[in-house]
Amino acid sequence: MMSRRRLGGVGLILAAQVLVHGCAPKPSQELLSPTEAQLKLRAFQTRTFDVKDRQRALRAVIAVLQDLGFIIERANEPLGFVTAERFAEPDYSQIVGVTITVRAQEDGRILIRANAILKNKPIEDPKVYQNFFASLERSLFVTQE
Amino acid sequence: MGKRCVILAAALALLALCSGCVRPTQPEEFFQLTPQSVADRAIQTRMFETADATELLSASAAVLQDLGFEVEEGVRELGFLRAAKERSAREYGQDITRVVVWILTIPLIMGNSLPVLIPVDLHQKIAATLVARPINPDATRYEVRITFYRVVWKGEGLAGRDAIPPGGQWMEMIREPKIYQQFFAKLSKAVFLEAFTL
Repeated sequence: MMSRRRLGGVGLILAAQVLVHGCAPKPSQELLSPTEAQLKLRAFQTRTFDVKDRQRALRAVIAVLQDLGFIIERANEPLGFVTAERFAEPDYSQIVGVTITVRAQEDGRILIRANAILKNKPIEDPKVYQNFFASLERSLFVTQE
Repeated sequence: MGKRCVILAAALALLALCSGCVRPTQPEEFFQLTPQSVADRAIQTRMFETADATELLSASAAVLQDLGFEVEEGVRELGFLRAAKERSAREYGQDITRVVVWILTIPLIMGNSLPVLIPVDLHQKIAATLVARPINPDATRYEVRITFYRVVWKGEGLAGRDAIPPGGQWMEMIREPKIYQQFFAKLSKAVFLEAFTL
């Protein structure tokens, strides 16, 4: 049978626990909502191309990633996405990753969206996406010959 | 006076060169095509006159298996294969260099420092990604491109008073043409077709 003092001590500890947990931050309602920066990002992460075939567009994406020295991790044809990664040479402790989705639109054009990640954060520099789409265009026109 | 100027200029130039060498790559540069990409593509690609993509892919998987790789992922509709194998990366040359450098830097002890211990390569993973795609509209010609690369993990080392922890890693795209020639020779034999360079 615990002494009164001890019981009081335990009670105090329990009360403190409840208080601390009550003050802990809960995940906000906005956790899954896109931030403003992300909405702006969507604009330069996306391009539409005049390619008849969605599969041809996917193959061109894979070809350009191989040209850029990326390692293709995952590719899914029915769902239309490709994931690739590479080390951020000469810094071998960081990885540059990119996920690309290829979707057909109603007007027959193909919508391609690229998400690039560095150090586990999305890359927000538009120049990165400009360079990628420029390289992709070159690859697309080569395959159309 | 003139000689001093020349030496100073040379030293500054060397310094500029050295500092240029350690500049980290900007993210946008990873997405730019370079002349190196074209050279790489040339040694990594061959063309086969066949309409049977499935057979080409299946034979490629068999050749990779023959070379000791484990095929990890395959997507038939896109003609994509990914395979890897792990090996020890220890080389006698590196071990010998490590011992020699250690012996040569023993005098550093007198300068209140420690002999230098170069980290050696310990373990490596060699991986390959292969893509086969049609290059003419009626899909009677396929182009096969394979990329070999390796990731190497280093052991520990010592430089002055700084310990280099183990687990450091580096990666290189394998650019040795012979390795690709060997792969395509085997693939060519497996499908009974000649492999054309583009």
